[in-house]
Amino acid sequence: MKLETIRVDRADGVATITLNRPDQGNAINVIMVRELEQLCNRLEDGAADRVVVLRGAGDAFCSGIDLRDFPPDAKPDVRGFSRWERACRTLERLPMVTIAAIDGECAGGGLQLALTCDARVATERASFSLHEVRDGFLPGMGTFRLAKFIGLGRARFMGLTGRRIEAAEALRLGMVDRLTPVVDFDDAVRATIAEFGAIHPDAIELTRRLFDESFEIPYEDFVGCFLAAQHRAIQTDAFKDLVRRAHQLDVPRPKDD
Amino acid sequence: MSPAAVLPRIISLGTAHPPRSYTQQDLLDLFGCDDELIRRFFTSSHIERRYLVLPEPLADGTMPDEDGTQLLAKHRRVSLEIGRQAIERCLESSPYSVSELDFFACVSSTGFLCPGLTAYLIESTGMRDNIHRADILGMGCNAGMNGILTTSQYAAANPRSPALLLACEVCSAAYVFDMTVRTGVVNSLFGDAAAAALVVADETLTAADGPQLLGFESLIVHAARDEMRFELEHGKFSFYLGWEVPYLIGEHIRTPVLRLLERFGLKRRDISHWIVHSGGKKVVDAIRYNLGLTEHDVRHTRSVLRNYGNISSASILFSLAELGREGVVCEGDWGVLIAMGPGVSIETGLLSW
Repeated sequence: MKLETIRVDRADGVATITLNRPDQGNAINVIMVRELEQLCNRLEDGAADRVVVLRGAGDAFCSGIDLRDFPPDAKPDVRGFSRWERACRTLERLPMVTIAAIDGECAGGGLQLALTCDARVATERASFSLHEVRDGFLPGMGTFRLAKFIGLGRARFMGLTGRRIEAAEALRLGMVDRLTPVVDFDDAVRATIAEFGAIHPDAIELTRRLFDESFEIPYEDFVGCFLAAQHRAIQTDAFKDLVRRAHQLDVPRPKDD
Repeated sequence: MSPAAVLPRIISLGTAHPPRSYTQQDLLDLFGCDDELIRRFFTSSHIERRYLVLPEPLADGTMPDEDGTQLLAKHRRVSLEIGRQAIERCLESSPYSVSELDFFACVSSTGFLCPGLTAYLIESTGMRDNIHRADILGMGCNAGMNGILTTSQYAAANPRSPALLLACEVCSAAYVFDMTVRTGVVNSLFGDAAAAALVVADETLTAADGPQLLGFESLIVHAARDEMRFELEHGKFSFYLGWEVPYLIGEHIRTPVLRLLERFGLKRRDISHWIVHSGGKKVVDAIRYNLGLTEHDVRHTRSVLRNYGNISSASILFSLAELGREGVVCEGDWGVLIAMGPGVSIETGLLSW
């Protein structure tokens, strides 16, 4: 798979996706949207990686959408935004742990992307904003996701002012999970990967989905969803082995593939 | 080299139900049910109303007991009524007249009669006396799919010969309500309805005429065979539904679906339309979580459940009709049909537009 705007490096079960347009602050263009979705689909199909790390090339994470994608003399339409959200959703629903590793600017679509991940590790010089309102358009499906992280009031303040938030404040607000000096960035990403420990793809996918849907579904309906999900989780070999261990019985050795 | 086989398409659908509908509260009041647990099954079922054919209450306000003979007679009477309506509506919006039909399959699990429903409906709707026919009885909610399979195989083997499927369920002819929790659960769920589908393989048809039927994949889970079954009680059919059934279906649902998709080189994300049997809230949740479907994916499944209850073998055709009415399908889209029922049985089919 030939990639123009992103790069992927795979090692030890970790696929690192680097947004790779450093001269444009890794701004999102049509090609990047397509490549990101294709790559996520390929990672899902391969099922070889446990973790996906998303980062930016150079000194920014991602500065948002590249406005040069809109032709100057044609009527703009929303199809590109629809494709962009589909790519975000594909990343958000990958059956593996996803970590956004953020150094430098993380703005607009860049923040939307970071919010689709399971964890956000940021350097002390990272900054965050949904600046679109200042420019007269909308901060995408950040309107759907941001308040779930930092609360409605703060999301409105941030999204309606377009103000820039520094890394330390982002940590305090709950937008970032771990803050690190620039020199320790790679170590902090590695430590975050290690923190996820043993990864059971089914358990991750289902738990993530339940957390997400907890904002949308009334309690009585949610219990049913939880039971359906838990039924699937406890049918896995991992859970059966766990029970055998609890009974101090031998656990079959995993087959070497 | 022989030319590529022409795939059958579902070119028309027609649906019908008895005239009278009941809300869940209407039914609790009618049967004088004040058991808290049973009331909860009714009110938390995600069903707003169901169409049923129930007797008028007696002078003292209680419901008369319908014996087995009366229930069987009701199955036949209502089936012939709503079955004929569904067939007529299906043909109205198709280029075929009833006398042009070459094959007629009829699916039902809510009553037994011999001669079968086809024998009555061929006469009452005016089909030819040399039409090929099949009555598929007792297969349960999944049987809509078994009927589509049979009808589409006839159509594929006989190009340009129109084949009609009718799924006809009079669930109010198969009930025992003795105020136990078991019959309470079952009676909180099912409704009466009929749906007809016209299937034909004709190379001049296009995506605008309806979806092609590409293939089917079945799964039968023997370990759970006794978890969904009819039992004869006091000369009436009483349906038994094990509590674990929704989860068992969820546990096994990936097997046939992934086999089906793999045969055609597809992934779940390639499927734009999921047409899932409205079995009940729990089983829809289980399917959603095991296949990773969204609420949007099952919107018609939910709306058919909400507006009709579980209408057994007719429900996937109702959902397919809802999808058609919505007008969102595009040429090149893929769809998966899923129905599940006794066996325990999961039946799936692949559609393309």
